[in-house]
Amino acid sequence: MNEPRKPRTGRIVATAAAYLITFVILFPLLWIALLSFQSNENILNRSFSLDDLSLANYRQATQTLNLLVMYKNTLILAFVSVTAGLVISFMAAFALTRMVFRTTRRRVQSSLRYYFLAGLAVPVYVLLFPVYRIDIALGLFGTHAALILPYIAVTIPFNILLLTGFLREFPEEIEQAALIDGVGLWGMAWKVVFPLMRPVLATLAILNVIYVWNEFPFAVTLINDPTLTTVSLGVSQFQGVYSVDYGAMMASATLVLVPQLVVYALFQRQVISGMTAGAIR
Amino acid sequence: MNWLTTRRQFTLMIAPAFLLYTVFMVYPILYSLYYSFTAFDGVSSPEFVGTENYRAMADDSAFWTSLRNTGVILGLSLLLLIPLAFLLAVLLSGQVKGSAVLRPLVFAPAIVAPILVGLVWIFILDPDIGLANAFLLAVGVPAQPQWIGGSTLSPYSVALVHLWQQIGFVVTIFYAGIRMLPREVLEASTLDGANRFQQLRHIVVPMLRETFGIVTALVVTGVFKVFELVYALTGGGPAHLSEVLVSYMYHITFTTQQYSYGMALAVVVFLIGAVASALTLAGMRRRAAAR
Amino acid sequence: MSTLTPRAGGPGPRRIRRRLTGTALAGALLAATATGCGAAVDGTGGQGSGSGQGVITLSMQNPNIKDQDPATYALVEAFNARNPQLRINLVGQPVEQHQQQMTIAAQSDTLPEVFWVYDSLARNMVKDGKLLDLTPILEQKGLGQKFKPSMVDGFRQGQVQYGVPYQALVTGFYYNKQILDRHGVPMPRTFDDLLAASKKLKAAGIVPIAKGANSSAFSVWSFLTMLSRHGFEEKTPAILDGTLGYDNPDFLRLYEHIAELADAGAFPSNVSTQTYAQAVASFTAGKAAFLDSGVWEAAKIQKSPVGPHTGFWAGPEFPDGVGDQRLAMNAPSAPFVVSAKVKKDDRKYRAVEAFLHFYYSDEGQQILVDNAQPPVTTYRPKVNTARDTVFAAVLDEAGRPGWSSPSVQPDLAVSAATASAMYDSLYGVIQKALTPKEAVELVQRSIT
Repeated sequence: MNEPRKPRTGRIVATAAAYLITFVILFPLLWIALLSFQSNENILNRSFSLDDLSLANYRQATQTLNLLVMYKNTLILAFVSVTAGLVISFMAAFALTRMVFRTTRRRVQSSLRYYFLAGLAVPVYVLLFPVYRIDIALGLFGTHAALILPYIAVTIPFNILLLTGFLREFPEEIEQAALIDGVGLWGMAWKVVFPLMRPVLATLAILNVIYVWNEFPFAVTLINDPTLTTVSLGVSQFQGVYSVDYGAMMASATLVLVPQLVVYALFQRQVISGMTAGAIR
Repeated sequence: MNWLTTRRQFTLMIAPAFLLYTVFMVYPILYSLYYSFTAFDGVSSPEFVGTENYRAMADDSAFWTSLRNTGVILGLSLLLLIPLAFLLAVLLSGQVKGSAVLRPLVFAPAIVAPILVGLVWIFILDPDIGLANAFLLAVGVPAQPQWIGGSTLSPYSVALVHLWQQIGFVVTIFYAGIRMLPREVLEASTLDGANRFQQLRHIVVPMLRETFGIVTALVVTGVFKVFELVYALTGGGPAHLSEVLVSYMYHITFTTQQYSYGMALAVVVFLIGAVASALTLAGMRRRAAAR
Repeated sequence: MSTLTPRAGGPGPRRIRRRLTGTALAGALLAATATGCGAAVDGTGGQGSGSGQGVITLSMQNPNIKDQDPATYALVEAFNARNPQLRINLVGQPVEQHQQQMTIAAQSDTLPEVFWVYDSLARNMVKDGKLLDLTPILEQKGLGQKFKPSMVDGFRQGQVQYGVPYQALVTGFYYNKQILDRHGVPMPRTFDDLLAASKKLKAAGIVPIAKGANSSAFSVWSFLTMLSRHGFEEKTPAILDGTLGYDNPDFLRLYEHIAELADAGAFPSNVSTQTYAQAVASFTAGKAAFLDSGVWEAAKIQKSPVGPHTGFWAGPEFPDGVGDQRLAMNAPSAPFVVSAKVKKDDRKYRAVEAFLHFYYSDEGQQILVDNAQPPVTTYRPKVNTARDTVFAAVLDEAGRPGWSSPSVQPDLAVSAATASAMYDSLYGVIQKALTPKEAVELVQRSIT
């Protein structure tokens, strides 16, 4: 892509298609943002109208929700569980794909991999009751760890699927070259393979952070201390038995969504696109 | 390859993931399995009843309806979601100007709270007050389909919204796969526009076989987790006709307090999902071996 | 294709593999037993202690109690102001999650001290001795005498008085007098009147009865009263012990009437996809003539543009019904219950006792009334009838001389599974997804 080329019809069509698809995908979200400026009555009765826009929903959202506490807790949860989760998932995935033995145990590796992957099919609502009891038994209830441990566990199957998949495609020559240079196992894992897996790890980091950011069933079950509340619980605060404040919901959703998108944009630009271009050749 | 590891090193590497996963995922499944063989309301003491819950399932028409609806969503997701997401990932990793901005935007639907997804799509799909039918009317199409709330179209509409929500997620994984490709391959495939599709097909797609496998496994297992969408769009109604497996399991477990029957449903959902994804992964393997 | 070079590997001896899986199994077992044993341990960090410095926790079915349940909020505020040494911690979750949490907490023995809960779940908890018998508290200072028997009798199992009423469930139709007058529709009294009114309103482009089934299957209150007008209360014991089917001719007749309403276009065409909240909004915006609802919406309707023209009606009488048709639903809603563990902690017990006595005192009941909730005791409230016209209309309809109330709303007299089937059956007919016969059979299947 280094030499300059004339724009061609193919390129124009591709660009147009990309923008069109993005707009179609984005349209319902733009609508949410728009509705967040309307009164609840208007949302329910005249959702197409654009009159009477105000910031009242944002006032309601910021007054009801303790956004600072929510962001703080969510950042702690996301940082700890995603970092720890990626490290231990990487270790396991490395062991499952790259470790070779004098007496090979490929079948053990393969069955362990399936053991982990089975977790992909677990419906999360099955986990709520037992995890609650485990947290109480381990004395974790009321701490961040009550959520961090299940979050790590739930992301393990997904991380291992992606990591083992990409590790298997990963060229062996690099390892062999490193071996000739006399690198040990840990050096191999952390200094040679880990950096080369950056695009995948970065992608996983994004997907895991977003999982933690939006996770609702565990959070609502395992948090009952207002000082531990997270952003994913914000929207549900406006859902009463008989009354639902859609306007404030839309506003708080927008308040949660926008920073996430900005972070995602910065992150993927820096990490996925920037650092990896040319990393693998 | 002449590089060897010891058993101890292997165990150390795998132990943290193994322990956490076993305690927080496998143990709960065994726990549900146990309760699925009891009569249990979730509170008072369980009573062993053997396979009664599983036999009840066979006669439960709502279970079969939810299984069929899940099948519809699975079929549509495999048919539409994977190719669309791949195409979009290729577009966004190519020479489209501003693709760095478009990528996070495409991902945005995956971040919205499900209850709001339901709400905003109700305003689009509602047969009376929705945008879709208003649009049809405006462009002169007299048909006013009952996208949601009827007894036929609901699962298709849910599949559509599911696709909308998942596409950015899948695009991101394809994008990472494309990024991992050796650079020369990408360059080669962008050089000659006339043959771009052929090159995609003959070079990029085969090299991304592992990525396609991963995505397929995720899409398959993802479908068996669809819940909030149904819940927010139709509440499973009318009369449970638009229920999917997990939403029906949730209804039975928490709304009707038939806890043990709910756990039996959960076990079946897990088994179907696990078998489906194992078949996907095994199929992928075989294709890889055949090459 | 350097990325796809196959890796070396060959079959290895079984011994090592077996040892490895052995280690794995041992690890799994260890983990499972550790958690298994632990699960029985009393969770000190659990639900009960909650957060904050309160002596006891009151756990409710709304996340933002101040806005969504102002009556309870005001009562707890008043109690805390008066008893700083017995502070109550007020917490809440959306109703689904609240029910779910209470179920988990009951399993793990970490229930909060006082909580709101659906009666069917409460009855499961009583079976296992998880709830406190409130009889001694009701016997003190004549607290028990403050209730009409029908308000507390439903919350007794054997000798155990496990619950006390949280609020009164006064339900029926709100109606918009202005719309009825404008279209020359007389205020209906019987079912045939309602049917005729629906046809006329539908023809005039007005939604006759605002209703939304989406995520609010329970919003069938007026139709439950109609069940009561077909002898539900007398039939309940026979239905539950299996000697009488729910698919009996009386109930079937009612469901056929509901089908007539549906065929007459009495319900909005998007009844399946709109939520109850949307239905309320369409009524307050003057788009619908009737709204199936209850006293809890009185304050909201009062504030809306239709407030001055809104009346309240207990629902249609059926000349072909069963029993006394002069019924207005004014039954206890879900109960407040108390965790049995409170017994073990004197300070908590005293706080619970003080709270219940305050809640049902005249002062407490007037706080309910000030927040547009009817009293649950026999207290005669002071209502500003000139200002709160809608609330006053509801109270009038609930207290008509010569009229009575069923002792329990039909869905609260059966198991959660049957209640859910009842909602499905009523909405199934309203949405024309079920025939009347299929509908009653659906409920019957949930009983047997």
